[in-house]
Amino acid sequence: MREQISRLMDGDLEGAEAEAAFRELKQSEGFEHWTCYHIIGDCLRRTGAPTAGFSSRFAARLASEATILAPNTTQKPQPARLPLAWAVAATVAAVAVVSSVAVSMLDPQPTALAKAREANVIRTAQPRPQAVSPDYLLAHQEYSPTTLIQGVGPYLRAVSAGDGR
Amino acid sequence: MIAMRRPHPYLPWIGQALLAAAWLVLAPTASADDAAAWLDRAADAAQKQNYVGTIAYQHGGRFETSRLVHLNDQGREYEKLVNLDGPAREVIRMNGEVRCYFPDTKIVRVEPRTFRNAFPSLSPQQQAALTDFYTFRMAGRERVAGIETQAWVFEPKDGLRYGHKFWADPSSGLLVKARIFDERNETVEQFAFTEIAIGAKIDREQVKPTWPVTPPDWKVRQSAPSEDAKDTGWTVMRPPPGFVKIVDGYRRLRDAREVAHLVYSDGLVAVSVFIEPIATAAHPFGVSRQGGINVFVRQQDDNLVTVLGEVPIATVRQIAHSVARR
Repeated sequence: MREQISRLMDGDLEGAEAEAAFRELKQSEGFEHWTCYHIIGDCLRRTGAPTAGFSSRFAARLASEATILAPNTTQKPQPARLPLAWAVAATVAAVAVVSSVAVSMLDPQPTALAKAREANVIRTAQPRPQAVSPDYLLAHQEYSPTTLIQGVGPYLRAVSAGDGR
Repeated sequence: MIAMRRPHPYLPWIGQALLAAAWLVLAPTASADDAAAWLDRAADAAQKQNYVGTIAYQHGGRFETSRLVHLNDQGREYEKLVNLDGPAREVIRMNGEVRCYFPDTKIVRVEPRTFRNAFPSLSPQQQAALTDFYTFRMAGRERVAGIETQAWVFEPKDGLRYGHKFWADPSSGLLVKARIFDERNETVEQFAFTEIAIGAKIDREQVKPTWPVTPPDWKVRQSAPSEDAKDTGWTVMRPPPGFVKIVDGYRRLRDAREVAHLVYSDGLVAVSVFIEPIATAAHPFGVSRQGGINVFVRQQDDNLVTVLGEVPIATVRQIAHSVARR
């Protein structure tokens, strides 16, 4: 079981195997292993682990935070149909799941959940636009067929975010 | 030289005619040839036409505009792209070299080789892959940047690719708009000219870099393919169907680190795989996104594996988990 949880975290499981591992996570023992592996991983990567009591403090902050579930009409007009118009006010990436569920409960439109999810994906990607080196993006662009038919336009992907470092 | 698989170099017209004849017999559908011929025409127009215009780039919640000038002067290509909002950025392509200028941080990035020098034309395998994995069809006529364009769509047949829609100027074949969309038909990324003069008279002055000589206090950063042909020994065990390896070699990054670089393409898009010994500093693992490019970073033993391309997250993730030593 431990091995299955470890493989799940590595993204190695699919289909029925993944579902079985998710069921294990619902058991307290499985959840403990999962938490433990994440702390080990964080320590190895030196990204730091949350301090004691993080979960309860986080839950308290989340409960006190207002969540806006309607599109913000005072926003500047956006070109075309942008998913960001669905301003789910969650300020912390981890709130994504909670707010998506809330939106889906209040708004019966099937697309609302999808849009809210997408909005969160984009939001969470923004704080780290430099997650990939421009070296990589430029090297890739050289071999991408998009360059062949669109000229240097697609190089905007590599230069528009980030400052070249 | 970077070790490269070159299934077919750009063939002279006789070769193309023979290839076309072969396809009449072998091709599973006639449109395999149509799709490849259409791409050839778009590439040819992008290379040979002279044009100047304003291009709008839209991705995620962002929208930015840039000025683009392209000149083909007796077979030599010159291209200049300058953004019009945010911190100034300039991309110059000249004599087979791409330079990106970042004046606020005083950095210029140089790519000594360009795509056109390196990228082989589609192999028959890739031509077939195009219609095995995409439905290529003509869409409506739509007005873009004042031009009555003809739209074309590459609709993916599986969830491992995005959809692509292109709007072409019917007389020159030049693309004036390109949109990448996901399975919900939401725009992932879009490039569109808001105004363009095709066949304009372009002066060499218009494509000259703002900084023809790099100022002495600027940093020059190169990430050239390594000179030595070396087998990286890395491979993707289970590439998504239709993706063929087109590049396998080392690349020297700015601090002289050697990074293995593999490129897989399905003929319409590419996925790059970078493998390097892991540094001690913390790395952001997982998924990120840069316009239409999805990135997946993971650690594999003592190596950092970075996979990126114009494909959905699931595809870069699948490839990243399939990287192995041969």
